[in-house]
Amino acid sequence: MSEQEHRLVRCFASVFPWLAPEEIRSISAESAESWDSLSAVTLAAVVQEEFGLDIGPEVLPNLDSFEAFLRYLRQLNVDGE
Amino acid sequence: MKLIEALELIRHPAADTAPEVRISLICGFTPLHLATFLAAAVRVLQPERRVAVRTGLFGDLGGNIARVDPSSVGCAVVVIEWGDLDPRLAIRTLGGWKPAAMADIVGSATESGARLEKALKELARRVPTILCMPTLPLPPLFPTGPDQAGLFEMKLHRTVASLAESLSECPDLRIANPQLLNEKSPHDERYDVKSDVVTGFPYSLPHASAMGELIAGLVHNRQPKKGLITDLDDTLWAGIVGEDGVDGISWSLDRGHMHGLYQQFVASLAGAGVLVGVASKNDPAVVKRAFDRSDLLLSRDDIFPFEVQWSRKSESVERILKTWNVGADSVVFVDDSPMEVAEVNAAFPRMECIVFPKNDYPGVWNLLRRLRDVFGKPFLTEEDFIRLHSLRAAGAWQGAVDSNGRSSDGFLKASEACVVFEPVQPDGDARAFELMNKTNQFNLNGKRFSEAEWRSIVREPAAVLLSVSYKDKYGPLGRISVILGRIIGRKFQVNAWVMSCRAFSRRIEHQCVKYLFETLEVDEIEFDYESTPRNGPLQEFFTELLEGPPPVPPIILSRQQFAARVPALFHRVEGTIHV
Repeated sequence: MSEQEHRLVRCFASVFPWLAPEEIRSISAESAESWDSLSAVTLAAVVQEEFGLDIGPEVLPNLDSFEAFLRYLRQLNVDGE
Repeated sequence: MKLIEALELIRHPAADTAPEVRISLICGFTPLHLATFLAAAVRVLQPERRVAVRTGLFGDLGGNIARVDPSSVGCAVVVIEWGDLDPRLAIRTLGGWKPAAMADIVGSATESGARLEKALKELARRVPTILCMPTLPLPPLFPTGPDQAGLFEMKLHRTVASLAESLSECPDLRIANPQLLNEKSPHDERYDVKSDVVTGFPYSLPHASAMGELIAGLVHNRQPKKGLITDLDDTLWAGIVGEDGVDGISWSLDRGHMHGLYQQFVASLAGAGVLVGVASKNDPAVVKRAFDRSDLLLSRDDIFPFEVQWSRKSESVERILKTWNVGADSVVFVDDSPMEVAEVNAAFPRMECIVFPKNDYPGVWNLLRRLRDVFGKPFLTEEDFIRLHSLRAAGAWQGAVDSNGRSSDGFLKASEACVVFEPVQPDGDARAFELMNKTNQFNLNGKRFSEAEWRSIVREPAAVLLSVSYKDKYGPLGRISVILGRIIGRKFQVNAWVMSCRAFSRRIEHQCVKYLFETLEVDEIEFDYESTPRNGPLQEFFTELLEGPPPVPPIILSRQQFAARVPALFHRVEGTIHV
């Protein structure tokens, strides 16, 4: 697991603390009941702070899974702090 | 604190059996991350407690205030922002910013302020309340440029300032200090416009974190320390009085001004009931002459005791602690010598020992701020003003007390003592709450109460809650004891009982028990006693009264047992208790 992915797992774990790391890597808004609007906003805020990003409101609806977040980070080529 | 850290902190809760801090967070915006940061900051300050932060409906500050249920929360935290005064002062509504609307906006904000004032006063009567006045910048709606403060803007600031001023008088409402928030959170980094528009949460994460920390400190409301022990040379004044002479020491703008500032500050602490003692390696006669100087900002009457001799500082400190009868953890020691500070700190590891930063202007400024932080209290009580006097009067008592802490009948009789029993008032009885939460030595079981628990008990119809005051010909001690219990048939069950250490050796504790038997007309008293590491004097009282080995719970005392063992009591008793 890359450092970037490892840090993203930690972000997800802070919002979904009951999930194991392997479950986190497969989570999506569709599959997880706990992925509601509040957790989506919190997740976005955590990821923005951790990686020093500014996620636009137009992008946010597309970030609907761990995989989508990871792809987004890779596209931006960000490592954060 | 970062958001991820706050989330991780609150995901590791205290044990299910741990007491819970229940907070109602009330704001007009969506509380989102503020609730997270607040819960995390409370966990940091009170790790032994669970934390529950409840939030209300978005956009309904007034309704959220009205809906607080005092039986389900320990305190209310109300966070006001400009948009709560008039929605046009926030950016999520588009109500118009034309110059012609300014007067109406100000008028509407003033009316909202008046409504909030009434609602918050009522809320504070029901539940301890913490209030944050607007922390965000006003939007650029005024016709003046940003470098000019115009009439309408000033009117809005006045509305907020007068609301805060009026509410600051409420005994059960504490306002977060904007000055401290300014230091923790730069004004131009507080507002997150995007977050406000997209989610309804207007704070940047660093600002939400700073707000959480500030509010958590007010929720915690820790007990202030009780005494300051200070050195003299190069601390209270510049110079060495034994070498420079009484006229050679100084605290003027020309030399040693920061020492003068420290004097002024210590006098302020003494005036607020903080005990101030001196520990100095010096010639007592020289120090006495120094305190004859009329330009000293700290009077000798502000200080008790003076320990001036050539022995180790820790020995002087030990004598002062004994005179005050307080624990080392309740005291701060200040001395300019790092060696003396280290020596005292080694002898009293739980005492906060600080090197006076001579010739360091910001260092002294920071010292004063630190001292205000540890000695500051939300309000002053009558007892704060008489504490020093009663300690001095205790000198007369100490001479009459034998090695077992007992006073002679003759001395007690001649002291013309009067004990007054009164019910604890349901609202604003700060002294009784303070006594219950800070007394260690004569404490039945070490039980501490949150503000909400205390309020709930005071208002409970079945509870008997007495405060006890004392005075004698040497002066008043003020309110020195609180008793909490319930009558169960012919028995009185004492759930909590504390008495200030200033009141020892006067048989007041015996008088309390006698009063309970006589007034409540019960046959026996059961004490919810528990041994604590520090309630030795309480244990001694029961050991002596029960004429047996150290007590074990429960302690049950019959009227006959007490009558057979109570020593002679000489107090005049006044009481206004009706059960």
